[in-house]
Amino acid sequence: MYIIGKSVYRKEAVDKVTGEAIYTNDIQSPGMLHARMLLSPYAHARIISINTEKAWKIPGVRAILAGERFPLTGEEIRDRPPIAVDKVRYFGETVALVVADNPVQAKRASELIEVVYEPLPVVNSPTEAMQANAPLVHENIESYEKVERVNPEPNTNIANRTKIRKGNIQKGWSESDVTVEGTVSFSPSDHAAMETRCSIAEIRQDGYVVITTSSQAPFMVKKLINLYFGIDTGKVIVNTPLVGGGYGGKAAVQLEILAFLASRAVGGKKVKLFNTREEDLVTSPCHIGLDAKIKLGCTRNGYLKAAEILYLFDGGAYSDKAVDVSRAGAVDCTGPYHIENVWCDSLCIYTNHPYASPFRGFSHSELLFAFERTMDMLAQKLGLDPLELRRKNAILPGHTTPTQVRLNTSNLGNLPACIDRLKEIMKWEEGQRSIQPDGLIRAKGICCIWKTSTIDTDSSSGVILTFNPDGSVNLISGVVEIGTGTKTILAQILSERLKMPIELIHVRMKVNTQTTPEHWKTVASRGTYMAGRAVLEAAEDAVEQIKKVAACVLHGAVSDLEVAGGRVFLKDEPSTGIELKDVVYGYTYPNGNTIGGQVIGRGTYTLRRMTYLDPQTGEGRPGPEWTVGAQGVEVEFNKRDFTYKIIRAVSVIDIGKVINEKAAQGQVMGAMAMGLCFGGRESFVFDEQGRVLNAQFRTYRPLRYGENPEYVVSFVETPQIDAPYGARGVGEHGLIGMPAALGNALSIAAEVNLNQLPLIPELIWRAKKGNQHALI
Amino acid sequence: MLSFDFDYHAPSTLKEAVSIYQILERQGKQPLFYGGGTEVLTLGRLNLVYSDALIDIKNIPECRVQMLTDKHLVLGAALTLTALTERNLFPLLSKTARGVADHTARNKITLGGNICGEIFYREAVLPFLLTDSYAVIAGNEIRTVSFDEVFNQFLQLGKGEFLVQLITNRNDLRLPQFHIKRRKQWNIGYPLVTVASIKKAGTVRIAISGLCPFPFRSKKLEEALNNNDISIESRINEAIQHVPSPILHDVEGSDEYRIFVLKNTLQDVLESYQGGES
Repeated sequence: MYIIGKSVYRKEAVDKVTGEAIYTNDIQSPGMLHARMLLSPYAHARIISINTEKAWKIPGVRAILAGERFPLTGEEIRDRPPIAVDKVRYFGETVALVVADNPVQAKRASELIEVVYEPLPVVNSPTEAMQANAPLVHENIESYEKVERVNPEPNTNIANRTKIRKGNIQKGWSESDVTVEGTVSFSPSDHAAMETRCSIAEIRQDGYVVITTSSQAPFMVKKLINLYFGIDTGKVIVNTPLVGGGYGGKAAVQLEILAFLASRAVGGKKVKLFNTREEDLVTSPCHIGLDAKIKLGCTRNGYLKAAEILYLFDGGAYSDKAVDVSRAGAVDCTGPYHIENVWCDSLCIYTNHPYASPFRGFSHSELLFAFERTMDMLAQKLGLDPLELRRKNAILPGHTTPTQVRLNTSNLGNLPACIDRLKEIMKWEEGQRSIQPDGLIRAKGICCIWKTSTIDTDSSSGVILTFNPDGSVNLISGVVEIGTGTKTILAQILSERLKMPIELIHVRMKVNTQTTPEHWKTVASRGTYMAGRAVLEAAEDAVEQIKKVAACVLHGAVSDLEVAGGRVFLKDEPSTGIELKDVVYGYTYPNGNTIGGQVIGRGTYTLRRMTYLDPQTGEGRPGPEWTVGAQGVEVEFNKRDFTYKIIRAVSVIDIGKVINEKAAQGQVMGAMAMGLCFGGRESFVFDEQGRVLNAQFRTYRPLRYGENPEYVVSFVETPQIDAPYGARGVGEHGLIGMPAALGNALSIAAEVNLNQLPLIPELIWRAKKGNQHALI
Repeated sequence: MLSFDFDYHAPSTLKEAVSIYQILERQGKQPLFYGGGTEVLTLGRLNLVYSDALIDIKNIPECRVQMLTDKHLVLGAALTLTALTERNLFPLLSKTARGVADHTARNKITLGGNICGEIFYREAVLPFLLTDSYAVIAGNEIRTVSFDEVFNQFLQLGKGEFLVQLITNRNDLRLPQFHIKRRKQWNIGYPLVTVASIKKAGTVRIAISGLCPFPFRSKKLEEALNNNDISIESRINEAIQHVPSPILHDVEGSDEYRIFVLKNTLQDVLESYQGGES
């Protein structure tokens, strides 16, 4: 391989380490106005009155938007007013928006808006939402506009239900000798990306809407502004500079709508809306919570026969992307095992919590915590080694998924190989639990993972390649650089294909929806796969154009030529050839005649053969491939005070093919850190009124340097045949087994089932006391 | 970003600081002495702190003293926590200070600010509650008062007064001592319980933050812990009867759990003294 597998620096590295990198909020321009939100202090309340009189007295105030009925928004169900009307449905919801000449004026004015509320009973968990007498978060869900294939259930808090009916569950139970049932729950939390969200909108005099935004989905912003406000899609231009971490939180479209409304209210002037950390945590969409019930059945010797699953996803006050998250939860509802009989209902539930967006892993870290905790409970009941139980049931080519996709050696990685490698790394033969000389307990917990990407069936990615007079290439892709280094990976793929030094490949970092070909959304670990395929097709296209001109110049057939090392030459006689710089703008003969012209490579890729899920059985092909892996966590546990330290965290992932080794390791380690902190600490704490008590970094604490364990990352390589050089998606997978592996390690260490998150010492203390009451 | 405007004053003498305060107050302002400004910014942006006239005490030489005399350690209220830990003249204070916030914040947070601030943990008071210490307070006059008399849940300052210095008996600086901070999870965050302790003349002294919405030292609690006739477990069970109320019950942990953590922490402290460590 020319450059595949090598750890090359990110193309934007210098910009980032020197601090020159520009993010949305760094953009300032003369005359730009600033918007500020007023937030709801209640989780559920009727808005009785809004008085803006005092706020208007602040100098510099240009507009106050409150109480006005704007088009309802939402990606599948249009249930969300951009600014609350009639009632508020979550703590931190936007109640008003002030536009002023500067941010301080906007803040001052927002603080002077007087809102009178009448508190309403609160739906504080999905389980509460399902009770017969539960208050309704939305009284008339049947009245909302919606897309096909989503079915809100009238007079309930159910936004959607995805059913999986595979095999015959009754047969599964009759074949089972041993059954176990696990109940799991955790509250919503957040992505806590370093860059809080920011959007700038302007409506130009010629009718063009120009939005600059920290988003993973600029092309979706364009479509939704068209859908909600009737602006022609060609007249919506969305710019996205570098994004300081997305993790799914910036896949949802929210601030863009508010910035647009703010701009419209001031005659189209440019308006910036920048989230404070508190707003970014609760006002903008967060990480979904879950209540789950899992029942598993297996034979005496540990072969799984039946899985009955209920997932109640806490979508929060508005369904937006949560419906899709809950659907993905059904698609991979079981974890990576061969189970012939599966029954699953995965529900998206309305509650009075902040509403959910995707979170790195898109329902998988959540469902795997539920499923893999239950697997450990089953292993314990069987008296079987938990890793052995998983190896016995590992999903293999020839098996089918819960949505009945037949797997093969390309669309599925090698799970047994991952398990075996994990076993080695974790020194499994030394035992799962031991007491150290100092009395501390060492325990190991493990978990298997899998994930496909449940994305739109027509998702596509496009790439354009242009050339410079020196023969170097410009790579233009709609992938947003959200910190994953995907654009560098694309450059490596191109470098490999053209056998051209990566220094001669110039990557355009910013996305502009008018000039950049579309990449559906920078989500779902799909950048390398989809945009990589588009890069290869664009390279092919450019190479063909180069060869055509060169064939004339070199007096040979196109099929005799090869492009490599910045030249096009005869395959059998490499010394006969010409430099790319002499071809890519057409070839000029000594007399001035020119043939050919600018070479512009064009490539697109659209996922193939994707289908919707059958509404009754869930049968369908929701994603192209399944990345698999095995993960482990080793803890040192103090059985007196229930504190613990994470010593090591291990990920073995079948990545298909490593394209950039350090980048891949970095992705996996970063994901592991997020997963461990989601499992061990990060969670919103709600009071009985549904208010978030820790919407600040003082009390909501992501993992910091020095708190991290030793990370071990190891890759298995089973190529996905239709992916660029065989590479599988790996952006999310390091995260998704961590909460479960941590829960399993601690359950073994503490000798009690720990089925809630976050796994704080107080939770373990309560479990040991047999008291499962919530914290507050 | 703060919604309110304020005047900024930077007096260079104690006298000037006191008189500026009085003048501002006569003008109907709401003056506030401050050191590092971290609470003014972080609580001010949420409108939990308000002032229209800030008086910065960092330029007053007395407030920046860090010196050992024959008999005493003198620490100025405007010293940053980082400055204190770097010189490390009072090891227990260094340990306690290092548990507050993070390094970047400690480069700004001052000793006086931590003691007089709104955030109620005020862990920097613990070493002064335990030792023979005095507070120097500026107002109409400069007064020097015993620290345990002037600190009751918070520093009992009169209107227009501010903390200038803390003075500690030099003999108390290097006594056997412990500092244990227990958090909700791992190494970041406010305390569930912070216990600082010294052993002086054979007697264990204990000061606690994080358990109640104020730091405290309880003589009765200490008496129980020093009752060497009974087992450590019995001493601790007796001691927790003397914990003041209310016990915090919040996002960090429940009241019941905090007591559990306190018991363990006290046990750690007592056993460590028995082990002869310091």
